[in-house]
Amino acid sequence: MKISIPHIHKIEGDAGFWAEVTKEGKVEGLKIQSLLGLRQIEGILVGRKVEEAPVVISRICGICPVVHILNAISAFENALSIKVSPLTVSLRKLMLAFQMIQSHALHLFFMSFPDFFNIENDLDLLKKFPREAKAAMKVRDYALDITKIVGTRVVHPLTFKIGGFRKLPEKEKLQKLLKDSDSAIENALILGKTLKKISYPKFERKINFASLYSEKEYSFYQANLVKIKEEKVTIGDFYSNKMIEDLKTPPVKKVKFRGESYMLGAIARLKNNNSLLNPKAKEILEEFIKEQGIDKEKMFDNIFYNLFYQFVEVLHFIEETQKIIKEVSAMDLKENPKEIKIKKGTGLSAMEAPRGTLFDYVEIDEKGRVFSCNIITPSAQFLNNLEEDIKFYLPEIIKMSEKERIRKIRSLVRVYDPCISCATH
Amino acid sequence: MAKKAKIAIVSLTSCEGCQFVLLDLGQRFFDFLKKVELLDFKLIEEEPFPKGKIDVAFIEGNPITKEDVSSLKQVRKKSKILVVLGNCAALGGIPEIKNYQNKEKTIRYIYKKIQGIENPEIKEVDNFVKVDFTIPGCPINGEEFLKFVLPLIKDKIPEIPQKPVCLECSYLGKKTCFLRRKEPCLGPISLAGCEAICPEGEFPCYGCRGILENVKPKGFLKTLEKMKSKEEIEENLELFGIKDSILELKNKQKTK
Repeated sequence: MKISIPHIHKIEGDAGFWAEVTKEGKVEGLKIQSLLGLRQIEGILVGRKVEEAPVVISRICGICPVVHILNAISAFENALSIKVSPLTVSLRKLMLAFQMIQSHALHLFFMSFPDFFNIENDLDLLKKFPREAKAAMKVRDYALDITKIVGTRVVHPLTFKIGGFRKLPEKEKLQKLLKDSDSAIENALILGKTLKKISYPKFERKINFASLYSEKEYSFYQANLVKIKEEKVTIGDFYSNKMIEDLKTPPVKKVKFRGESYMLGAIARLKNNNSLLNPKAKEILEEFIKEQGIDKEKMFDNIFYNLFYQFVEVLHFIEETQKIIKEVSAMDLKENPKEIKIKKGTGLSAMEAPRGTLFDYVEIDEKGRVFSCNIITPSAQFLNNLEEDIKFYLPEIIKMSEKERIRKIRSLVRVYDPCISCATH
Repeated sequence: MAKKAKIAIVSLTSCEGCQFVLLDLGQRFFDFLKKVELLDFKLIEEEPFPKGKIDVAFIEGNPITKEDVSSLKQVRKKSKILVVLGNCAALGGIPEIKNYQNKEKTIRYIYKKIQGIENPEIKEVDNFVKVDFTIPGCPINGEEFLKFVLPLIKDKIPEIPQKPVCLECSYLGKKTCFLRRKEPCLGPISLAGCEAICPEGEFPCYGCRGILENVKPKGFLKTLEKMKSKEEIEENLELFGIKDSILELKNKQKTK
């Protein structure tokens, strides 16, 4: 039996799925294939000025430009030995928290959630779940407001630069955000109430998870360690020695860890860092486990829970924005970006993007031009794991009607939240 | 009541940022959708691509793969009005930078073995099909989309006034003006309508909305070359695909 989905909608970018199941039940030729052209972002950057590189790198992805800019800037700063101010760090964290909220809220409600109710068009979703839709949009609006205030523009924000910010936000506007944050939490909870009750498909497979790790905070903006399986390795070691990019599957360089697949993103971060969640996020996670009757030992075996875990992060990061805004409010919002002194160097940085750990490695020549760069996106890292999960899932759904089977495959793909634009840059 | 216009939003190879600008409009975008019949918008539905005619099709991104090109041509055939959305589709965008490099070399920084990887020269959508209207910018301005789409769904092609970005810029005539600070800014020769959002974010204009039809860029570029090297100014023009438009404009003005 051949299974093909030429275009999987409601994911960022464009990809198709193909597989064949033999009479003996063996699965052959299973693949998720990117259908995008290679834009060659890393090649384009070679020879260009480091100052403009973040502008180019931002265009890898329209849903998560913030993290692409931030991580590239941080890699360049490492290469140029620039240490930014505490204010810059706080405002960058605020923007990254926003990035998580807006991307997750869009994905979990408008792309993945409808699958659990067999809704194929979001216009129907809006009719069937008007209260939740309104709440999801309000939560997103809160996050979009943050970017407008700090970054001036939401898609491809403008104020970031190597060394700091081109322009700092006004304190009064940040204060207003703080006021709005309570209603953002209320709206998130409206959404959470419904998400908690979804009947999640049965699925149980032990997989590997990777995310940044720190003992101090729920890691998202920079960290020195990656936690994978139960190991903690430095990001340098992980990047240089542990992750292997496959050059034989263009236009995406799929990644493995010592020959094994792994998963990233909300479910992985929760696995590695859940004790450090903010209070409301922690509370709703507990309620979810209890109300769904989930065995805590198995709470990360069902990949479909990634939908709810993204929601837990939405709540966590709204709470995080409250903390950061309070922190920033106590600071003097006046400073100039650090001066860029051009020198030859190399830099590596890792940050948590909505879909998982993003790595940027850069080399700069003595004239301040990019000598080489490599950007490893989360989606390129988890596509292997996604394929393995579908392979594992197929026997479960093989007896269903074709329509139903394809529906199930699509819902599994979407719960991963792959970004094919990121994977195929 | 008149029949609702049928629209489709189609994406080629891209970052999809222009589509997210639409979704970021939130309730206002969904309110607009009530005025039309939405035939295709991959980010929010998964119904098969409709067979019938389209009144207004919006195309985002670069035609890079063969499939990009063939779906672009199919959409053109079905559509009464074809609108390009954003800098990539209109002017080639960031991926076009490759055209100014050695394209065999650029790809080899990514893959050593390049057999089977599509690596065409980047060309704007209007090299493949007729384009009726452009909503410019990287990304597009959501407010502008909402404004232009109303005449479009009534079968009317709107017009964007040929005015420079400076007229919308809060730095105009002030000390903060990038040009006064001797920093290259393409505001004076670039098409307004963005509310000068880049200078608003303390970022000079790179002309992502395209060059005005009625300017003579030669003299202006000479002024910029006093601020930065000629090479750097050329690089600025490459960023959002306007280097070739300027060349075209210069040639046109020469032959006149």
